[in-house]
Amino acid sequence: MKDLKSLLVAKDLKKSYGKHQNVFNALKGINLEIKEGESVAIIGKSGSGKSTLMHLLALLDAPTSGAVFLEEQNTSKFKQKKLNHLRNKDFGFVFQSFFMNANDTVLNNVILPLKIAGVRPKERRCRAMEALKIVELEDKAKNKAKDLSGGQKQRVCIARAIVNEPKVIFADEPTGNLDSATGAKIEELLFNLNKEKGITLIIVTHDDDLAKKCERRINLVDGQIKENTK
Amino acid sequence: MRIIDILRDANSNLWRSKIRSILTILAIFIGSFTIILNTAINAGVNKFLDQQIENMGGDGYLEMMPTEAYESAMSMISTSEPREYTDEDDTISYYIKDDQIEAIEKIDGIKSFDVLYPVSVDYFTSDKTDKRYKADSFNLIVPGINIDMLTGETPDTSEDAEYEIALTESMAKALGFETADDAVGQTIKIAVPNAVKCHSMPRNECVAIVEAKVSGVQAPGILSIAGSRANLALWNRIYDINYDGAPEISKPRPPQAVADVDPEKITEIKDKLKEIGLSAMSVDDEVGMFKTFFDAILIVLNIFGGIALAAAAIGIINTLFMSVQERTSEIGLDKALGMSSAKVFFSFSAEAIMLGFWGSLLGIIMSVIAGSVINVLAHATFLKDFPTFNLVVFDPKSMLAIVGIIMLIAFLAGTLPARKAAKKNPIDSLRYE
Ligand SMILES: Nc1ncnc2c1ncn2[C@@H]1O[C@H](COP(=O)(O)OP(=O)(O)OP(=O)(O)O)[C@@H](O)[C@H]1O
Ligand SMILES: [Mg+2]
Repeated sequence: MKDLKSLLVAKDLKKSYGKHQNVFNALKGINLEIKEGESVAIIGKSGSGKSTLMHLLALLDAPTSGAVFLEEQNTSKFKQKKLNHLRNKDFGFVFQSFFMNANDTVLNNVILPLKIAGVRPKERRCRAMEALKIVELEDKAKNKAKDLSGGQKQRVCIARAIVNEPKVIFADEPTGNLDSATGAKIEELLFNLNKEKGITLIIVTHDDDLAKKCERRINLVDGQIKENTK
Repeated sequence: MRIIDILRDANSNLWRSKIRSILTILAIFIGSFTIILNTAINAGVNKFLDQQIENMGGDGYLEMMPTEAYESAMSMISTSEPREYTDEDDTISYYIKDDQIEAIEKIDGIKSFDVLYPVSVDYFTSDKTDKRYKADSFNLIVPGINIDMLTGETPDTSEDAEYEIALTESMAKALGFETADDAVGQTIKIAVPNAVKCHSMPRNECVAIVEAKVSGVQAPGILSIAGSRANLALWNRIYDINYDGAPEISKPRPPQAVADVDPEKITEIKDKLKEIGLSAMSVDDEVGMFKTFFDAILIVLNIFGGIALAAAAIGIINTLFMSVQERTSEIGLDKALGMSSAKVFFSFSAEAIMLGFWGSLLGIIMSVIAGSVINVLAHATFLKDFPTFNLVVFDPKSMLAIVGIIMLIAFLAGTLPARKAAKKNPIDSLRYE
């Protein structure tokens, strides 16, 4: 293994939902480390806690106990402002369901993170078009997001995830809705970003082929890590 | 996120559910329209009154009457219930007595002072017409008040002047003068009855004709409503004819007096008059009474406007709650992508403020249109005599203030749903759908 800086460390992460007798433990003590520039697949059965773990690592949600360390700093001590800034500037997200503003244009959907960051209109349009070029959708920029096909939507989400040039991309089932050809295209796109720009990839997937392409696989079973293999 | 982007998005979000937003804006419009128009009418009337007062120049004018008379007049207005009679209620004693006159003369700051004797006049006529016109509005020119003249001069108010009268424009026309200018310098005839003779003789034989010079014609104004005005010399002459030969005891006593006083000392003088049993009113007091009455009407109308605004505020809360509900996943996405709660709050508040803005803008536009129509209609009808008086006067400053207040109300109404949106957890919102 290359001598890389530690990016994300999970220490005894637990997450439970519900209260009293209805408590459900989605994560039951997760310990892991992800290094800068790595590509990591989180695999496991439906309901095993993959999305939950990803949301915790992406600082979208707070664990019930345990902590996530980002570059060796305990993120539970971070102020909301810093969390917002991190998610906006350093992280890119592809969510399990697309989460786009369906009535807005493709371009505006890709622009969203830059708009939140307060980038000026001219520049943000320019950068969004570049991101769309990477996913080969520049000709759909003016279309409404809802008018796209499933695979195109997924690519728009990837364009949105990379538009702010993040350090880490969190992708929840990025090829879940796609045929193998389109899926392969997206995989290629993600791994290119990983290799060329050194972007860390954290990919939740059911797809064994995709998982195998990652440097590491974390297998979740019932909220616990069963395997953590290279 | 830049403020301009938030505002732009808020505005476009507003038009996503058009009907809902338009209905809310309509509710705000009704409230703002009512309040803006009321304020403009209030401004118009006040401006008119102020102008009239300024024309009168009555800074030092005081009208006084016995306090008992004043109070009984006031209580007549304020209650319709039967009241028990007391000996002090003897209305015949409500006149300005000699010892009071003496006391008034000693008060410092009174420049001139006249007791007003009531007179009676039957009709006016002139050489230019065979017709006789009832003189039911006929008054004395009192010192300290400027009569606004359309043409000619104000009658000479000294006691030994010629008999002079300032006609109203309509009376001048009725008496056969083609224009107001034609009347100036002409003579009119005033039929004055005598109390003693008219007791036993037919009316047309018991009146004396007094000739008076028309010194000028009054400009329309609130003073001209009180009718043609005689100078003191003419007034006294008429009084003398009215009661010639009548026993002293049957002559009417002066129920009122007027004074021209030093405006600086007016409150002091009023207090002193009070001590000797006289209630005095300045022009401001009299106009103030009218204003109070007028204000009361406007307050009622403004309450209606306020109720409409309260309903509109509830409409804003409602429409924004629906909007928050509909856009849950959108909010979640914004927050997941690093938008701060404060910005989320602000974007919904901005929507509320914009509802307020559009509603009140519509209110301004429609009330300006309605105001112009009202002014035109008013000038064609009941304000014919006052071409310069606009019933509805718009003051940009107060309109801006109203818009500001309505936007503030909208903002406050919006804080509830906006807080709900700001508090949303991105993950929960993303799961929603
Ligand atoms: N907000 C919540 N309230 C209650 N239970 C929840 C909540 N979120 C997740 N869970 C439960 O936690 C468990 C893990 O959910 P998670 O979404 O992480 O699964 P997953 O591994 O991503 O599954 P999938 O492959 O189907 O997406 C599930 O049993 C789910 O029902
Ligand atoms: Mg999942």
